[in-house]
Amino acid sequence: MRHIQQLWLVVLCLSLLSPGMAREPVTLPKGILYLAPYSAPVTELKDLDGEPYNLKEDNGTWVFVHFWASWCGPCREEMPAIQNMARTLQAEGLKLAMINTAEDEDTVFSFLSAHAPEVRPLMDRDGQVTEKWQPRGLPATYLVDPNGQVRYQALGGRAWDTHPYLTFLRHLMTSK
Amino acid sequence: MLVCGSNAATPPLYDSPELAVGLMPRTPQQIAAFYEARGFNKTMIEKLKQQCFITVWVHNKSSQVIWLDMAQWRFSNTDGVVTRFDRYYWKTVWSEMQIPLAHQSTFRWTLLPETLNFQPDEREGGNIVLPRNDKPMMIQATFPTGADKSGTPITVNFNSIQCAKDP
Repeated sequence: MRHIQQLWLVVLCLSLLSPGMAREPVTLPKGILYLAPYSAPVTELKDLDGEPYNLKEDNGTWVFVHFWASWCGPCREEMPAIQNMARTLQAEGLKLAMINTAEDEDTVFSFLSAHAPEVRPLMDRDGQVTEKWQPRGLPATYLVDPNGQVRYQALGGRAWDTHPYLTFLRHLMTSK
Repeated sequence: MLVCGSNAATPPLYDSPELAVGLMPRTPQQIAAFYEARGFNKTMIEKLKQQCFITVWVHNKSSQVIWLDMAQWRFSNTDGVVTRFDRYYWKTVWSEMQIPLAHQSTFRWTLLPETLNFQPDEREGGNIVLPRNDKPMMIQATFPTGADKSGTPITVNFNSIQCAKDP
């Protein structure tokens, strides 16, 4: 009987802790690294239509910052998964900054028409914004929190439209 | 330490439970085609065609950090040491040739990083650039291990690596 009472005590303690615990990081999906938070580099670019973009204006929400180039094989493989993920999560509040590294408008337009027509590309025409972020390679993805802090990095291409990644991103968005 | 040879049919590959490293020498035509498609100008292409490009890929299959540190790679042939053209060399070359920043950036991203702390299951790749020569080369690649590089290093030797020629 005494053991049962102790067990209930443990259950009670866990249930009291659970609302707070739910805000702790979930298990990271494969290939996602937690980073000691740092301020996101200044990222001011134009999209394919010449419309300006400033990462700072997305403060208040999580931002999926992605660097890619059409010549990079893993980027080609990953792009449809990002588009699928964006279809779902943009409606739930996730912002995306899809930064093309050092290519021209024609190349980007042709590539996205074939691989991810719904993606709005940002043009890092001379590659200098990409340099500031210092990615490990291409593709590269960073997750920036609502305070403009870089918090996570993805290693290489990831299956962003699959359960572990969608769950993880949703967890971030609900734990701001 | 493992020694890997090379022949035309099978690209050199080192594969162990901890680490996989592959090499793929590229022909001048392959290099020209790739960079021409990126809009590089004729002067750049001619410069690049004169070099020996080897595409390298690395996969950390272990559960610890494995370091790529190009300063710990040695290239040699029967004439002695072969000096790699690193990204700092190319930066100077492209600046002197007044190459647009976009092309400089693209070129840099196609190179293997100088250093990288490969996380478990991470894979990255890129080109290394050597002076073109006809002699078989030896490549000794040492990979420090552990987050603070205090683990036992992994050394891989590739023998008889040839620059690829156009058919």
